[in-house]
Amino acid sequence: MSDSILILPILLPLVGSLLVFVTPSQNRILRSAFALLFSGAALVTTIITFGKQLSFSTASWAGFGMDFQLKLDGLSGFIMVVAGFTFLALLYSVAFMQGRERERQFFGFVLLGSAFVTGSMLANNLVLMLFFWEGLLAVLFALIMSGGAKATPTATKALVISVTADFCLILGVGVVFWQSGSLNMSVINLPLDNFWNGFAYVMMMIGAVARAGAMPFHTWIPDAAVDAPLPFMAFLPAALDKLAGIYLLARLNLQLFQMLPGSGLSLTVMTLGCCTIIFAVLMALIQKDYKRLLSYHAISQVGYMILGIGTALPIGIVGGLFHMVNHALYKSCLFYSAGAVERQAGTTDLSQLGGLGRKMPVTFICFLLAAAAISGVPPLNGFFSKELVFDAALQINVVFYIVAALGAFFTMASFLKLAHVAWFGKMTQVAQKAKEAPWPMLVPLVVLAFFCVLFGVYNPLPLHGLVEPTLGSALTHSFAGLPHNWLVAGISVAVLLLAVANHYYGVKRSGSALGSSDHIHYAPVLKPVLAAAEAGKTDPYNLAGAVMDVFALVLATIDKAIDWFYMKLVTGIAAALGRGLENAHTEKPWHYVLWVLVGGVAVTVLFFVGIGG
Amino acid sequence: MSGLILLAILAPVVGAFILPPVGKLSRRLRDLLALALVLVAFICSASLLPSALAGEPAYLQVVLPLGMSFGFLADGLAIFMAMISSFIGGIIVLYSISYLDNSEHTHEYYLMVTLFLGAMMGLVYSTNILFIYIFWEISAISCWRLIGFYREPDNILRADKAFLTTVFGAFVMLIGFLLIYSQTGTFDLMEMQGVSISNATVLLILVGIFSKSATLPLHTWLPDAGVAPAPVTSLLHAAVLVKIGVYAYARLFLFGFAIPEVWSTVVPVIAAISALVAAGAAMRANDLKRIIAYSTVSQIGFIFLGLATGNPLSAAGGLLYILMHGLAKGGLFLCAGIVEHNAHTKDIRELGGLIKTMPITAVSFLVCGLSVMGLPPLGGFFSKFMVISGSVTAEHPWIAAVFIVGTLMTIIYLMRAFCAVFLGTPKLGIVVREGSKTMVASVLGLAALSLVAGLLIFYPSLFVQEIVAQIGWLGL
Repeated sequence: MSDSILILPILLPLVGSLLVFVTPSQNRILRSAFALLFSGAALVTTIITFGKQLSFSTASWAGFGMDFQLKLDGLSGFIMVVAGFTFLALLYSVAFMQGRERERQFFGFVLLGSAFVTGSMLANNLVLMLFFWEGLLAVLFALIMSGGAKATPTATKALVISVTADFCLILGVGVVFWQSGSLNMSVINLPLDNFWNGFAYVMMMIGAVARAGAMPFHTWIPDAAVDAPLPFMAFLPAALDKLAGIYLLARLNLQLFQMLPGSGLSLTVMTLGCCTIIFAVLMALIQKDYKRLLSYHAISQVGYMILGIGTALPIGIVGGLFHMVNHALYKSCLFYSAGAVERQAGTTDLSQLGGLGRKMPVTFICFLLAAAAISGVPPLNGFFSKELVFDAALQINVVFYIVAALGAFFTMASFLKLAHVAWFGKMTQVAQKAKEAPWPMLVPLVVLAFFCVLFGVYNPLPLHGLVEPTLGSALTHSFAGLPHNWLVAGISVAVLLLAVANHYYGVKRSGSALGSSDHIHYAPVLKPVLAAAEAGKTDPYNLAGAVMDVFALVLATIDKAIDWFYMKLVTGIAAALGRGLENAHTEKPWHYVLWVLVGGVAVTVLFFVGIGG
Repeated sequence: MSGLILLAILAPVVGAFILPPVGKLSRRLRDLLALALVLVAFICSASLLPSALAGEPAYLQVVLPLGMSFGFLADGLAIFMAMISSFIGGIIVLYSISYLDNSEHTHEYYLMVTLFLGAMMGLVYSTNILFIYIFWEISAISCWRLIGFYREPDNILRADKAFLTTVFGAFVMLIGFLLIYSQTGTFDLMEMQGVSISNATVLLILVGIFSKSATLPLHTWLPDAGVAPAPVTSLLHAAVLVKIGVYAYARLFLFGFAIPEVWSTVVPVIAAISALVAAGAAMRANDLKRIIAYSTVSQIGFIFLGLATGNPLSAAGGLLYILMHGLAKGGLFLCAGIVEHNAHTKDIRELGGLIKTMPITAVSFLVCGLSVMGLPPLGGFFSKFMVISGSVTAEHPWIAAVFIVGTLMTIIYLMRAFCAVFLGTPKLGIVVREGSKTMVASVLGLAALSLVAGLLIFYPSLFVQEIVAQIGWLGL
C-alpha cells in the first residue's frame, strides 16, 4: 500500500464538500448521496489504514521547515473515529435537516470540517497542523450560521472565543520552533525545565483544551445548543472538537513535551480539569431545557479527559483517551435523541415534555443506555473510563479524586432528572402527538448505543485496539477488563446510589420531577452564584468584551489625540506664525528700515561668530 | 532585457498623459488603454522574473560624475513589488470602469491612476535614491488629486492633509538622503551596499517611510482618505501608496545600508503600538471604509515587524504579507465600494442584511476578511504565522504576544463590520442591488486569489525565499 493513501481521508470529504456546494440547492437527493458516499469512502480508507504506521510528505511546501508531512501512528488512528462520526452526523442530518433553509451550507461545511479535523490529527508538522486546526474556525462560524439569522451573535461569539485560544496556540508553536529549532512533530521533545518551554506548553495547552470545550472557553457551547441546528452539536462540540482537542493534549503530554507526573504544570492542568467538571455539571443540573442540559455535560465531561491526561500517568492518559471516545459515543447519542425529540415533539423545553418513552421506544432505549453510560453505570463504557481517571487522580492527590467523584454524583442526578421528566412521568400534550423518528435518525442512535454497551462489556476491544497503542513503550500493562482498584469502583457505585436517593428526596421535596434539583439549585451559597452564571454575568466572553471595549476606547482616544495634534495644533501654530508675519508688514517705511537694520546686525554677528568658531 | 524595465516604467508614466486626449475621442477606448498600460507594466515585470530568479537580474546603468549615477535594477524584490502593484492596479482599473461611469473628471482620474502606478514602477526599479525621492513625490501628487476626486470642500481638506503629511515626511527623508550623500559621496544604491549609517540618518528616513506607510504617529491621513472613490482607496491601501514605505524599508535597510542593531527592537515596538492603536480605533469606528482603513494601519505594523526583526523567517513573512494583504485589502475596499455605490451609505449602523441581495460581494468580503484575519486556508495565515514565529525566533516573544492581541482585535472589528453590513435584517428602505459584472468579477477575483495564494502557498513562498536568500547578512 502506498503511503500516499494518507491523503485520502482528508481529500475525500473535501471533494465531497465541493460537490455538495456545486449541487443545485433543490436537488437534495443528489446532495445527500454525495455527502454519504464521500464520508463513507473516507471511513473505509481510515479502516483500511487503521493500525498501520504510515507517513507521507511532499518535497516542499511553505519553506523554512514548514513541510507538508502527514503521519499515521497510534494516536492519529483516532481519525477512524472522526470519519465514523462524520458519517453518522450526515446520515442523521439527511432526515433532520429536511426542509430547513440552509441545508446545503450545513452539509458542505460538515464535510469540510471533517477534512480539517482529520488533517489536524494526521499532520506531523506543527504548521500543517495549525493550517488544518484553524481552518476549522471558518467552518465553525458557517455551521452555527446555518441555524439561521438568529445565530449570528452566537456564531461570532464562538469564533472570537475559539480564535483567542487558537492564537495562543500559534504563539506556542512559535516558541516551540524557537526553542527546538524544528517544526517536525516527530523530533520535538522539549523538557519542561525553563520558562519559555513552560510558556509554550501552556499556550499550546490552552489551544487544545479550548478546542475540547474546557472552561473558561466553553460559554459559546450552551448558546450554540439553542441557536445552531442540532446535528451540529452532536458533530462538533460533542464529538470532533473533543477528539481534536484531547488528541492534541495527549500529543503534548506524550510527545512534544516531557511532562512529569506531579509537576506544577501537571497539577495546573488537573486543576483546570476539576474546575471544568464541577462548575459545568452544576450548571447542567439546573437547566430546564433538554439541549442546554446536554451542552453543559459536553463541557463537564471534558474535564475528566483533561484530568486524566493531565496526570501524565499511563493509567490517566489511557483513561482520558478512552473517556474521549466514550464521550463522543454517548454524548452524540444523547444529542441525537434530543434532535429526535425536537423534530417529533416540536420542543425541547423540559416543562412541556413528559412520558415520551411510550411514544418513541427505540429512541428511549438508546437514550437510557447513553444516559447510563455518561453517568458511569456499570457495565457500560463510561464506567470503565471514569474508573481509570478516578484511579489516576487518586494516585496524584485525593482532592482531585473527591472533586471528580462529586462530579459523577451531579452527573447522575441531572440525568435522573432528565430521564424522569422527559421520558417517564405523565404524558404531556406535546408528547401525545409525537411519533417515533424516521430511520435515518434512528440508525445513528442505535449504532451509538450499541457501541456504548460493547465498549463497556467488552472493553479490551477499544483499549487494546485503539487506546493503549498510543502509549507505545510507556505502557507497562493493560488496563482492560474489570477495574483494578476495587475500593474506587465501590465508592463509584455508592455515589450513584446516593444520587438516586438524592433524586427521590428532591422529587418528594419539590413535588415534581422537574424540581428534583431545586434543593441544590436554591441552596444558600449556590443560589446567587448559579443565578449570576445563568444570567451570563460570569461569562468570560462578556467580561473580556467589556474590558476590550474600554481598551479600544483608550486606544481610539490616543488616535484622536494624534489627529488633534495635526488638525488643530500644527495648523494653529502655522496660522499664528502666518498672522505674526503678516502683522510685521505694517506698510510704514521706517518699520521696514528697522527690519533691514536688525537683519544686517544679526548677519554680521553670525558671520563673526562663524569665523571665530 | 533591460529595455523591458524602461518599458515597464515609461509605458504608464508617459502613456498616462495621452489618456485625456484619447478620452476626448472615446471614453471606452481611454479606459481600455489605461488598463493596457498597467498590464504592459505587469507583463514586462513578469517577463523579467526568470533572469532575476536565475541570479542574473536585468540592470541598466547610466554613469555620471559626482555620484549622480543612476540605474534601474530588476532583482527579485523589485519584480515582486512591481508585479503585485501592477496586477492589483490592473484589477482596480477594471473595477473603476463601471464604478465611475457617471462621474466627472474621469480623464484626470485615469491620468493620475496610471501615473501613480508608473511612479511605483519607477520607484521599485530605481537604484538611485534621488530617483526614489522623485517618484515618491510624483505618487504624492497623484494621491493628492485622487483623494480630492469629488472636489467637495471636505474632500479637498483631507487630500491636503494626506499631501502635507506625506510630503513633510518625504522632505525629512530627503535630509536623510543628503546626509548619506555627504557621507558616501554618491546617490547610487549599488555603491552603498553594507555602508553603515548613523541613528540620526535612520530616524530621518524612517519619518518618510512611516508617513507614506501610515504608521503611528504619522498615520491619521489614511483613514481620512476614505472620502475618495473606492477604487482610489483600494489603490492607496492595497496596491501602491502604503506599500511604498514598506518597500523603501526593505530596499534601504534590508538590501542596502547596515543600520544600528537597536532598530531591530525600536521599529517592532513602534509597529506594535501602531498596530494596537489602529485596531482600537477600528473597533470604535462606524464608517465601513474607516474600519478597513484603520485595519491597514494595523496590518502595516505586521509588515514592519516582519521586515525589522532581522530574522529570515519573519523577513519572508513580511514580504509575503505585502502580497497577501494587497490581495485581501484590495478586495475589501472594492467590496466596500460596491456597498457604498449601491446603498449610498457606508455607515455600518444603517446597513444590514445585504447578503441576501448581494451574495457574491458578501462572500468575497468574508473571504478577504478571513485572509486579513490570518485564518487558513487563506493566504493571510502563512504570512501572519511567519511574521509571528519569526519574531519569536528573533527573541521578541513579548512583542509577538502584543501582535497576537492585535490579531484578535482584527478579528473582532472585521467580524463586527461583516455582521453589521451583510447579516441581520435590512435597515435601508431601498433594495440594494449587486454591483455590475466587472465590479463583482474584480472582488470575486481578489477573493479567489486570496484563497489560491493559501492553497498553493508553495509558489509565493518560494518567491519570497529567493528574495530573502539574496539578503546576505541574514545568513540564510
